Amino acid sequence: MTSITAERSLSEQFPRLAANGGGLDVRELERLRTRARRFAEEHVRPRALEIDRRTGEDPSWFDWDLVRAGGEHGMLGFMIPKPAGGGGARCTQGAVVMEELCAACPGIALIFGAHALGFSPLLLGGPAQWDGVLAELVASEHTGEPLLMACAITEPEAGTDVEDPDLLARARITSHARRVPGGFRLSGTKRFISNGSVARWITLLMPTDPRRPVETWTCFLLDTRSEGFAVARVEHKMGQRACPAAELTFDEVFVPDERVVSREGDGAGATMIVLASSRPPVGAIATGIARGAYERVLGWLEEDRVARGLLERQHVQLALAGMEEEIHLARQAYMDAATELDHGTLGGVMSNPGARALEHVPASFRRRAHIRSWLSSDRARDATIALLHRSTSDRAMTRSLALSSMAKARGGDVAMRVTGAALELVGLRAGPVRAELEKLWRDAKLTQIYEGTNQLNRLEVYRGLCRSETINCLPPLHPIHLDADALQPASVNGDGGRS
Amino acid sequence: MSATTAAERAEIRTMARELAYRELIPRAAGLDRGDPAALDGCWSRLVEIGLDRALLSEQHGGVELSVLDLLATIEELSVGDGGIAMCVLLCNAALATLADEQLADVPAGARWALVPASSGSEVTISDGQLDGSLACALGAHGADGLLFLLDGSEPAAWAVGAGAGGLRLERDLAQMGLRAAPAASVELTGVSCAPALGGSDGRADGGSAQLSVADAAALVRAGTASIAHGIARRAYEMALEYAHARQQGGVAIIDHDAVSDMLAAMAVRLACWPGIAADHGSEIDQAQALAAKIAATDAAVASTTDAVQVFGGTGYMVETGIEKLMRDAKYCQLFPEPNWVAHGELMRSERADRTAMRARST
Repeated sequence: MTSITAERSLSEQFPRLAANGGGLDVRELERLRTRARRFAEEHVRPRALEIDRRTGEDPSWFDWDLVRAGGEHGMLGFMIPKPAGGGGARCTQGAVVMEELCAACPGIALIFGAHALGFSPLLLGGPAQWDGVLAELVASEHTGEPLLMACAITEPEAGTDVEDPDLLARARITSHARRVPGGFRLSGTKRFISNGSVARWITLLMPTDPRRPVETWTCFLLDTRSEGFAVARVEHKMGQRACPAAELTFDEVFVPDERVVSREGDGAGATMIVLASSRPPVGAIATGIARGAYERVLGWLEEDRVARGLLERQHVQLALAGMEEEIHLARQAYMDAATELDHGTLGGVMSNPGARALEHVPASFRRRAHIRSWLSSDRARDATIALLHRSTSDRAMTRSLALSSMAKARGGDVAMRVTGAALELVGLRAGPVRAELEKLWRDAKLTQIYEGTNQLNRLEVYRGLCRSETINCLPPLHPIHLDADALQPASVNGDGGRS
Repeated sequence: MSATTAAERAEIRTMARELAYRELIPRAAGLDRGDPAALDGCWSRLVEIGLDRALLSEQHGGVELSVLDLLATIEELSVGDGGIAMCVLLCNAALATLADEQLADVPAGARWALVPASSGSEVTISDGQLDGSLACALGAHGADGLLFLLDGSEPAAWAVGAGAGGLRLERDLAQMGLRAAPAASVELTGVSCAPALGGSDGRADGGSAQLSVADAAALVRAGTASIAHGIARRAYEMALEYAHARQQGGVAIIDHDAVSDMLAAMAVRLACWPGIAADHGSEIDQAQALAAKIAATDAAVASTTDAVQVFGGTGYMVETGIEKLMRDAKYCQLFPEPNWVAHGELMRSERADRTAMRARST
């Protein structure tokens, strides 16, 4: 049983995609959706309840076989840039895949989503990142022993704070990246990190000066085999249990300079860009959960003996219609946010002739020592930043962030409402479908919380859309001198934006 | 009218409140895991206080609480654990529907459970034998006896001992909420049973049973409402405490409107709880019980969901104990029937009243 809105082709649902894809191949997107749906039906849904039960008993239990199966279906590297060997997919494709996987099991889907979130800060680093960890991830997928990534932002005393520059300025940040010769020493604790206990590489954000977290918020790429890194515990969650959420500790962990992603102090803006691209997929996760619940309850009503006659009741008909309506609108919201980001806000970056030409440079040439050296140089990094500034703007990014936040918050609420309504329709007397719906209802709650609570997301909508504020998301063209005296506190600029 | 004095009834409520905070809350995680030792330990304490047969007369080892006192006591217990409160509710509803001679055979400390069932579709009765099956009978697993409450035009109750031939109970491992009232899937194959003597319109044996079948059904709904209200109280307490302690952006999160709005909404829902009224100490109006159950359980689901939101990511973690309240509240919304079904029952009840009024006026 599939909902009508899921059965319709993407070009039917989103004519703008077909009319002017802005570089998006709609047929390729349909193929990707079909591939994700097949993986979900063959591997994800059949294992969902059993994995939920096992991880309920032992939160650290992890199904690597499922990750390998996902790798075989291309669910790990499809968002890695093509020059690094990946599928080159962007936010829109990632969101569409998430909906398909989450209609089967959001916890399992989160393993793949958290992996993509883990490497997403590296994508901002441009060509310099293609031949490092990103290529390693793709290679690992091809060998059948896939490596996973995670992104670590949240701290024990700072959750929502670290996802908003205003709150970050006054947040209780306890982590610290201390500059030492050749790199940084990282100390502190990160909490609720999806994939944190199973990741081979982690991107994480810490301030290099805890007194000025906004100005010194910096992204690092961490090798989890580093001395001083430890998984303190894996949390026992209400739902989405297949993907472990871990507490990670850092005891003077050394990270060399070359594993600072972009530049020291660029982390706060980078976080905003990452959130603008990760929140539409969270809206898709929530939409998928709602769709999964709707499809299950509809199947139960049509086929189960206990439910005989219920479809004749107007209450049931109205409830089902309401679910279909909510799912449809939630999908429109996340697709709108994702396509705006891909083809509006960042479209200029992706279609830049220079950037596209670079993508076609053979890897063998790119990996020559002197080319590689240049790609990793400050000049190349500055050129990437300059391209960002030429192709988009802080205002466009802020607007995208707001649309993404809207999709995320709306989707989370829809997921809660639809799963709750579905559970109420079947009641306690239903058979196996009740267990699936109860799980989806537990899973749904997290979508109102992660990637910033819905409340925070709606405040982003207020700032970005209602008030047309501008957040400084893009890394500055010229690096800030991080001497203590040169640092200025965050302020609101003349047109209502924040600098 | 209850023979227990007002002071004694107040004392029982106080004991229930203390039991909730001192013994149930610390054991809530174990109860939620379905740990039988945790349930047995709590049940022993409840039996000591006399809450297993609170409605019964002293002759039957009871403490003669009125229905309203029982509901108030259940609410206090549910602040500690909704599942334990549900065990108390279902046991009292079952035992109070049995006749004297049936009660005489129920040993002290036995835990019974009332099981609401749909007559015909789930369970059928023929020649004193029960057949059928039903999923997720709350409190049935590990119970010493079951009282099947069958709906229909002639509601009836049938008592079955746990060891009866043809009765098969299997622990419902999927049970998400109220896990201290362990649910079972029930298979009945020609199970010999005895009718409980409460009739639909009164006590068919002339007054032996404490509750009629209809009263028992109303008690279960009103009790579920009380449990939901207790859960919502606990959620509010926890969320409020956390909101004062947790800092965000340099201030306590209660100073953010985004959080205080949710807390205010929780407080309003609690303040709007009308409570339950009963005529003659034991008869709860059916429509009132339905309405209270719908209102209180919807409010509890909303408040517990908000409470988890106030806690943020921390609230999603089992160790905090707040997400458990959300699961427990959701089960209250679904028991003894989902609220959308209860809406239908409410309107059927209204139509029946109107028809009766017209009949009287003509």
